Amino acid sequence: MLKELFCVMRAVFRQQIIMMRRYMFNTMSSMVTLYIVFMLLFFGVRAVGGAAVTTATLEGMVVGYALWMLSIMGYSDLAWGLIQEAQMGTLEKLYLSPLGFRWICGFRQLTGLIITLVMVTVLVGIIMLTTGVYLRLDLVSVLPLLLLGVLPAYGFGFMSAGLALIYKRIQSAFQILQFVFVGFMVAPASWPISAYLPLNMGNRLLNQVMVQGRRLWELDPSDIGTLVLVAAAYCGLGLALFGRMETVARDRGLLGHY
Amino acid sequence: MVPAIEVEALVKTFNRGRKNAVHALQGISFSVWPGEVVGLLGPNGAGKTTTIKCILGLISPTGGTTRVYGFDTRTHRREVVRRTSAVLEGSRNIYWRMSALENLDFFTGLYGMSLSESRPYSEKLLELFRLRDRKHVPVQELSAGMRQKVAVACALATRTPVVFLDEPTLGLDVETSYELRRSLKQLAEEENRTIILSSHDMHVVQDVCQRVIIMNQGRIVVDDTVDNLLSLFRTRAYRFVLSDGLREDLERQLRARFPEVVVRRDLQTVVEVVVSRPEEIYLLIDLFREAGLLIESITQQEPDLEEAFLRLVRGEVAC
Ligand SMILES: Nc1ncnc2c1ncn2[C@@H]1O[C@H](COP(=O)(O)OP(=O)(O)OP(=O)(O)O)[C@@H](O)[C@H]1O
Ligand SMILES: [Mg+2]
Repeated sequence: MLKELFCVMRAVFRQQIIMMRRYMFNTMSSMVTLYIVFMLLFFGVRAVGGAAVTTATLEGMVVGYALWMLSIMGYSDLAWGLIQEAQMGTLEKLYLSPLGFRWICGFRQLTGLIITLVMVTVLVGIIMLTTGVYLRLDLVSVLPLLLLGVLPAYGFGFMSAGLALIYKRIQSAFQILQFVFVGFMVAPASWPISAYLPLNMGNRLLNQVMVQGRRLWELDPSDIGTLVLVAAAYCGLGLALFGRMETVARDRGLLGHY
Repeated sequence: MVPAIEVEALVKTFNRGRKNAVHALQGISFSVWPGEVVGLLGPNGAGKTTTIKCILGLISPTGGTTRVYGFDTRTHRREVVRRTSAVLEGSRNIYWRMSALENLDFFTGLYGMSLSESRPYSEKLLELFRLRDRKHVPVQELSAGMRQKVAVACALATRTPVVFLDEPTLGLDVETSYELRRSLKQLAEEENRTIILSSHDMHVVQDVCQRVIIMNQGRIVVDDTVDNLLSLFRTRAYRFVLSDGLREDLERQLRARFPEVVVRRDLQTVVEVVVSRPEEIYLLIDLFREAGLLIESITQQEPDLEEAFLRLVRGEVAC
């Protein structure tokens, strides 16, 4: 069983790397786009805010942006992948894996996360070099928060993947969701509901770490509790909806259709 | 012995309860024993693909059960999937951006095989399908026939006891189709796997399979060995060459007895008849004698499955 798990993971990992290399142009151009968008934001904020803009604000911006990038990839990669595979006709083959389709999706998400983390690190590095804003990177505190904070987006990833199984053409919904995510992220802490929105608490805690220089264990335990709970809830919800949509797709014979 | 595949009263209705409901399968049953190579034959929309996908658990049936080595697809999908692999409709279910070898590595990996377990056999398949020199080329740069062979190789490489091939020769030229068939036959003989092959192409089925299940409109029309089916038609298809012209009234008489008679008047007169009972041949000869016609030759036509199939599907012959 453990060996099977390992072999499937290796197969998925290798495949994703190969695909990324074959689609290198896409990978590069999306990085360039993300970089340009950030620089526009950065100079925009500077121009508008003038002297009031402190390094701390800019640091907050970089962190928020990193979280946002990670979440976009988190929620759209899986669904995108499934739509493409439905077109190519390979989706059904993935369903014919003894371990189960959900594991394959899980491994894909994991691979995607690792690749994205590398990309984000590189991008943040370039951003720091070009803007002259240097972040204090306390990896021990940042990494767990970043992962927990981005998990709800992966929950959304499973939801939109489930919808993609049935409706296939939901690309435009992705685009809207990108901006909805920004809204979730920056919803003010004074609203009681904000803490339960995806990305919100993660963003807040990350800011405390990066801007105020707190360590992970100096954060409010109840906030961390909320973060974990929210992550688990959205992931659970996403998987449940995904399972439901799979049943519908099997009934309607949609797994092999585009 | 447990059958490799059991299908019992399988029913599938798409869009149930709506106006556009499609009764894709209307209660089909059959069993396949380990080691059998069975052809699933039928016109477009007969329900071949739906049957295969129900057995694999890719489509949930409206009613009935399917089992693979005794495992019910509905309750033990994992056990079923572990024992089966498939090429589904056409050459599209491999990754076109990856090479043949990368595809083989990936799909065997999904079945929990390590590279050291899968590679030797994968290499053997590449050799068998004559893809060895091109194994590192991205699949999209291969010809359609080669891609199709890669897809079949990916299904075989997992070494599952049951293999489904849905239209494996679709769109292949005669030579490539022949080559693929030969490789399949060789594997079926060497490895004693259970193979279910669907096709429109009767020659493929006639060539590769021992048994054929003919479907039409969601029902099984015939389930018999290929040999039986052929002999059924062999004994009953005759071709007469007559010395003189056939008069109109005799032709009408013939037509009344044998609605399907084919009469051709070229240099000679040729009469082609399928008799439904063997003794009818005497009747036919009597008719010719009474008309004073000489029979120059009688040949028993070599039937092919294609003809048998078309007649069965049209309901012209009862089995
Ligand atoms: N997902 C679906 N939704 C609705 N109807 C479907 C679906 N899939 C198949 N059908 C219908 O079910 C019937 C059987 O289709 P199926 O694909 O099993 O036929 P087939 O024998 O494989 O045909 P072909 O030789 O064309 O591949 C057809 O009438 C088809 O239109
Ligand atoms: Mg079909």
